[in-house]
Amino acid sequence: MESEFLDALHRDLGAGEGSGARLVQACRDATDVTGAGIMLMADGQHRGTMGASDAAIAVVEELQFTLGEGPCIDTFTSGTPVLEPHLRDPDEVRWHEFSGPALAAGVEAIFGFPLVVGGVRLGALDLYVDHPWELTDEQYADAVAMADVVANAILALQSRAQPGSLAVELETGVRLRSVVHQASGMVAVQLDIPVADALARLRAHAYSEDASIDDVARAVVDRELRLE
Amino acid sequence: MPGREALLARTFVEAADTLVSDFDVVDFLTSLAARCTDLFDASEAGIMLTDHNGGLQVVASSSHAMQHLELFELQHSEGPCVDCYRSAQVVASHDLDADRHRWPRFAPEAIAHGMHSAWALPMRLRETTLGSLNLLRDRSGPLADEDLDAAQALADVATIALIQQRAAEDARILNEQLQTALTSRVTIEQAKGVLAERAGLTMDVAFDRLRRYARAHQRRLTDVAWAVADRDMALVDEVAGHA
Repeated sequence: MESEFLDALHRDLGAGEGSGARLVQACRDATDVTGAGIMLMADGQHRGTMGASDAAIAVVEELQFTLGEGPCIDTFTSGTPVLEPHLRDPDEVRWHEFSGPALAAGVEAIFGFPLVVGGVRLGALDLYVDHPWELTDEQYADAVAMADVVANAILALQSRAQPGSLAVELETGVRLRSVVHQASGMVAVQLDIPVADALARLRAHAYSEDASIDDVARAVVDRELRLE
Repeated sequence: MPGREALLARTFVEAADTLVSDFDVVDFLTSLAARCTDLFDASEAGIMLTDHNGGLQVVASSSHAMQHLELFELQHSEGPCVDCYRSAQVVASHDLDADRHRWPRFAPEAIAHGMHSAWALPMRLRETTLGSLNLLRDRSGPLADEDLDAAQALADVATIALIQQRAAEDARILNEQLQTALTSRVTIEQAKGVLAERAGLTMDVAFDRLRRYARAHQRRLTDVAWAVADRDMALVDEVAGHA
């Protein structure tokens, strides 16, 4: 990868706003794939999508949030890259629920790289291709390099925050799915269960109705839907 | 000298090992200083590093006498280590007696402690100078080139290890802050949902009640949110009613 490219990216990121969008575009361009997404994780949970370069990758992020399975989850857990060059006909099936919907969204090959700085994991970088594809050595190396840039960029953004709060750029740039958590709170009171269980119920409902968890949560918050 | 070669090799391996695992900085550097007196024709060895404010601190010394001399340099802002840090270059004196003019206070003090030659090697990576590796000897004369080279190489490996460790530490702290911040955002949203449902409020009003309650009772917003999300119903009703 060109060092001028990295320099330009670092300068760009200094501006803060729109970092997520710029980062995923940079990742996509640097690795020459169809799309890229960045996921933040905390407490072992998918906590927010920092950027999604197109609709397909947005679906990929949504699926992983709803199902709790997928390349980002696996790469975060293992701390090593997860490569699936042929999602439609894999050597072994990794994700029973994730694969179908991901393929339907146009994802034929998908790769997850962990975001790590100083031994600490922050989340994952997702790259996908719209046809079966094995990453070349160069693409792989570029992906590892970009994951490093992204991880450091996230921490650099956070370093500007007041201690105890989320950096403004992350607050605005990351899709935190507030509505889903609000809905969890509501369902927790409605069904007299802990919020964690309420979230699980929302996920289950979304899955069984083949709806996005965002839509289900929105319906709950708007009082158009009440879970039993 | 096969014995020395083996010890040198082992020292490098141990230093490199720190790059892949967590390590105690002071422990590592103290061992390194002690090892230097075995490896090289030096009577004493020590290490100084900058702290977060950019001031030099004595971090490791092969003996109390060495520690005293290193502290002496810092107190008087004068000596081979100080010069080394400022210039980021190797500073050497083969004869401290002849070099009294360079260090009018340090030289006599070192001689009084039986030291007659000194070397300070920069602990430096590109533009970053962390400090210096210091060697003192109880007789005058030069240090063999191969000793100087090996000592500098050790200093270099130690520098990389320290920079890595500092970066990792900074990253750990930042990441913890990030994780905490992300989790607390989730908790606040959950709390809004609980309040909204319990008291028939909109999300905005619910958030407002949370903030007012936290302020009025001088509690952290996240703490109140956590208790509300945990469905402490007595608290929930109190917060909801806090117009």
